[in-house]
Amino acid sequence: MAQASDSNLGAPKAAAVPAKPFSPEDDAYLREVLKRCSAPTYEAASQFRKTRNTEHLPAIVLGIIERYVEPDLRAKLKDPDDDLRLIEDLGIDSLTMMEIVILVEDVLQMSINNEELRHLRTLGDVKQFIDCKVRGLPLPQPTKFLPIEQIASVMPIQPPFLFLNEASVSSQGASAKYRISGQEFFLQGHFKDNPVMPASIMLEALGQLAVLFLLEGGALEPGKVVNPQTIFFTSCEGVRCHRMCRPGDVLVLSIKPKRLKIPLATFEGAIRVGQDKAAIAEEITLTFGYAEAVAVEAGQPPAATGEPASLPTAVNA
Amino acid sequence: MAKVYITGIGLVTSIGNDVPAVAESLRELRHGFEVYAPFQKADVPVKVVGTIKGYETDSYDCEDWRYPSRFAVKREILRGMAPHGLYTYCAMLDAIADARLSTAEVSNRDTGLYAASGGSPHLLGYYLQRMNSLGVMRCSPLGIVASIAGTVNFNLVSHFKIKGASCGFASACASSSHAVGYAFEDIALGRQQRMFVVGAEDGNVESILPFAGMRALSLQANPDLASRPFDLGRDGFVGTGGAAVLVLESEDEVERRGARTYCEVAGWGQASDGYNVAISHPDGDGLRAAMEHALRTTHTEPEAVDYVNAHATSTPIGDISEARALRAVFPESATRPAVSSTKALTGHGLSLAGAMETAFCAVALRDGFIPGSAHLLNLDPACEGLNIIRATLPQAPRVVLNNSSGFGGANVCLVLRRE
Repeated sequence: MAQASDSNLGAPKAAAVPAKPFSPEDDAYLREVLKRCSAPTYEAASQFRKTRNTEHLPAIVLGIIERYVEPDLRAKLKDPDDDLRLIEDLGIDSLTMMEIVILVEDVLQMSINNEELRHLRTLGDVKQFIDCKVRGLPLPQPTKFLPIEQIASVMPIQPPFLFLNEASVSSQGASAKYRISGQEFFLQGHFKDNPVMPASIMLEALGQLAVLFLLEGGALEPGKVVNPQTIFFTSCEGVRCHRMCRPGDVLVLSIKPKRLKIPLATFEGAIRVGQDKAAIAEEITLTFGYAEAVAVEAGQPPAATGEPASLPTAVNA
Repeated sequence: MAKVYITGIGLVTSIGNDVPAVAESLRELRHGFEVYAPFQKADVPVKVVGTIKGYETDSYDCEDWRYPSRFAVKREILRGMAPHGLYTYCAMLDAIADARLSTAEVSNRDTGLYAASGGSPHLLGYYLQRMNSLGVMRCSPLGIVASIAGTVNFNLVSHFKIKGASCGFASACASSSHAVGYAFEDIALGRQQRMFVVGAEDGNVESILPFAGMRALSLQANPDLASRPFDLGRDGFVGTGGAAVLVLESEDEVERRGARTYCEVAGWGQASDGYNVAISHPDGDGLRAAMEHALRTTHTEPEAVDYVNAHATSTPIGDISEARALRAVFPESATRPAVSSTKALTGHGLSLAGAMETAFCAVALRDGFIPGSAHLLNLDPACEGLNIIRATLPQAPRVVLNNSSGFGGANVCLVLRRE
């Protein structure tokens, strides 16, 4: 660990890391600014300031966010899920976000500019962002939020066979919601007087989210664009359903890439309804191809040292 | 023109934080002064302040603040407020309850809010110091809305979802009287059905002590003697803070709701000295004109006025100016109205003063008494010839004037009455 911190100190991009020792005055200041955070937050911050060990970052960031979340919403942070959304789930508005940023800057002794913050939507985004900043790594592509209109405009699959109402896509994976309305045509016959979402359609919905990831995730080779016409289902493994889903249920779908290498992309996927596990798929594999024309501006920094290096990061995360 | 009534009052003042307590202090001439701990330093010659009880707002961190437990104020609301923002928030809740207004009656296109405060030099100083030492990007994101003049209207309009007219008034010690005047006009002209009028000040070190530089503050260390308008021994004003919220409503709304009223706001007048940036006109020229406008436009004969709540702050020059103006407006000595300055009890609330003293007059009109002059032992001969009352009078006034004067020579006179 000490070695890791030393190498971070020496990293040319780690401009946020000053080389000055952690004085008693620094400690007093740290205690003061973190006085409304939990004790583990202060402990983690103090350890980080002494050792520069980035393993402490999640505890610091989570502790600072918790301090600014209204007490009745803090229970959500007990078992923190990286998919928790800052605005919708935690009630953090843009001004509170600025308060969080200022305290993070104070504690970690770094500066963050507004442009970098604009796309942070989830707890996971924030943690990864701070981690990259402190390590001096290039910043991850921000999570994109797609409402139904935008999903329909990019997908080769269309209503009435599109089972995503809204989605968030980042280079790490994608999540989406689908509310079973009861109006789906197949529910008339599945089953007689007993509408239940078919398991095959639930798997289809996960597959559709994987398609959206290929089109919008930006996790593939820079400069290359996936041709929507080339994406097809190949195989799936380890599919298990745990709960019947009926009209009124909101399916929360998530997928993460396991292997991405043209022409195959393999994902793991899960569906939850509230706190219940509804279905999992250990592997869903799609085939895909690139579009001929590649004249699209890449949002990635040109100096990225080859995309294969960033891929393992995505899979490990 | 629609008639306008005061139907609700909320107060956080040095002499009480609710209407019954304040009414009792006014009747009994019980002052709100204390030797103020932050002033007890060798290099601070000022010692006394009209203190707010039941609140602790000295910390720069709003989460350290303490306030009466019957209010619960969320952090996301507090973080954009100065100390006087908290006072106004609590006073606003009390005024709404006092007027028995529903949420829908507070938030609609026909209900507005005018406010006045001097901002918060306390917080502004802290934020600027932070900016200078830590850099501009570490300024608190809500530092500006919490500290600049306008902070009261920014906060209350958003938190109470006010949808009618709203703005702030900045004429120093005449500010919240201007706010009452223009709120009256909006209702009288049918632009609004209901207006909240708010005056407030921090009343702490940074909002009061700068007045020491112009030698305007009393150096008297005895809380029982420091504020004594019209007295020969007066040596300056005593600062105070707090909040006053008035609910003004049209006669239609009063009738529709079956609302209880304190009194009618009959009208007002204003005029300026055109004389000096900080010193009142020696003859009270502007104040006299303001009173004359107020009487003329409300068709009130000078003899009909029963009580004048004087602006008199206990400064040597200002009180004499006002005495001269009063003698000019009320020349018949036999019918001169009772005069007192309730600043002898509260201290001078600056932007708070006009709304707070309008509330005092409204309470006196409803409850039927005229508050006397506390601490007046030896009347200044320059203030003679007026009916400056000593003890509280038990009789009910029918027509009351409330005077306010601010920097730059701005003068406002409000006319209140009860049939």
